[in-house]
Amino acid sequence: MDTGGSVVSMRAEEPSFHVRYRMEVSCLELALEGERLCKVGDYRAGVSFFEAAIQVGTEDLQVLSAIYSQLGNAYFHLHDYAKALEFHRHDLTLTRTIGDLLGEAKASGNLGNTLKVLGRFDEAVVCCQRHLDIARDINDKVGQARALYNFGNVYHAKGKSICWSGAEPGDFPEEVMTALRKAAEYYEANLAIVKELGDRAAQGRTYGNLGNTHYLLGNFRKAVASHEQRLLIAKEFGDRSAERRAYCNLGNAYIFLGEFEIAAEHYKRTLQLARQLKDRAVEAQACYSLGNTYTLLQDYERAIDYHLKHLIIAQDLNDRIGEGRACWSLGNAHTALGNHDQAMHFAEKHLEICRETGDRSGELTARM
Amino acid sequence: EAKSSAVASSQIFHSDGGEMEPETMEIKSVSEYFTKMHMGSVMSRQ
Repeated sequence: MDTGGSVVSMRAEEPSFHVRYRMEVSCLELALEGERLCKVGDYRAGVSFFEAAIQVGTEDLQVLSAIYSQLGNAYFHLHDYAKALEFHRHDLTLTRTIGDLLGEAKASGNLGNTLKVLGRFDEAVVCCQRHLDIARDINDKVGQARALYNFGNVYHAKGKSICWSGAEPGDFPEEVMTALRKAAEYYEANLAIVKELGDRAAQGRTYGNLGNTHYLLGNFRKAVASHEQRLLIAKEFGDRSAERRAYCNLGNAYIFLGEFEIAAEHYKRTLQLARQLKDRAVEAQACYSLGNTYTLLQDYERAIDYHLKHLIIAQDLNDRIGEGRACWSLGNAHTALGNHDQAMHFAEKHLEICRETGDRSGELTARM
Repeated sequence: EAKSSAVASSQIFHSDGGEMEPETMEIKSVSEYFTKMHMGSVMSRQ
């Protein structure tokens, strides 16, 4: 303070208190707006505000950690996993520097999820372990459950990444089965905690992924049991997307149990929900599944009906590969009914699409 | 018999292992941090 009473900087190059104060307020305002935008799902705009907040800067390292973390999550939702990794790494380093153990646990969890999507499973496991260890050390049951769920997801993804397309569920190589069994163990450990906590939403998520794990392990009855629980919880919450997923996964499990009529009923519910949710891609997938199911039931008239529905949507969505699949299936169904002209028409369409999309194996099959 | 049907079905159904539930990302909220700080300073004044 000079003799006139005004505030001056001690050194000319350092921002004065009120400049630094304004910068802090600006950073905070930008970050809060970024947070608001991300909350409503506008991640692109949210990222802009968070990046601007970083440019302005802050001396509050907890605020900086939150900005890094939310940037990482925003990029994750935008499927820019390289950027997500960058910011979650920044957050992890920062939390370790300031000794924020809970923050480090969260950063580890987010980093683990990001590494999983990038296929870097061994590194993801290390992050999950750190998340779990800290949660146990600070007696954070919720954190422990979340870490166990992430662990399950990493091992599930690892198993899927190794399995080759020629094998059926339950017949994958041993390292795949090992990874999937580990995934199931982690999901079960998670379930034990989230049931104790009464967290039904978390139970729903875990049952869904546990069901998928049992499916890949060839444990189709257990898959059904898990997906039924997932379905029940989805209905409790009125979560129609989750309900649709559960019906679809149940349909898949019943196919492998050879119970095609029951599978068809589940796929029909999937289709109904897809229409309610106005999700055309999922509607197309449900029609395709129903077409295939009725083929297995040797009800070719119904199969054709659903494959035609699938074809129409694939055309609307400019999905040439989907169109190709539909034509192939329609050709086979018409052949089964002895409709040779129709069969030829769809076989030719299938061949044309295979050539266009560069599907060599499809083209060879079509020529046969 | 169910197994032999399942063999045929796997050739038709590309098994991608089913639709997964979403990941759970941890949240660090700026607004919550400031709310806690504000509550903390109010409590300490009392």
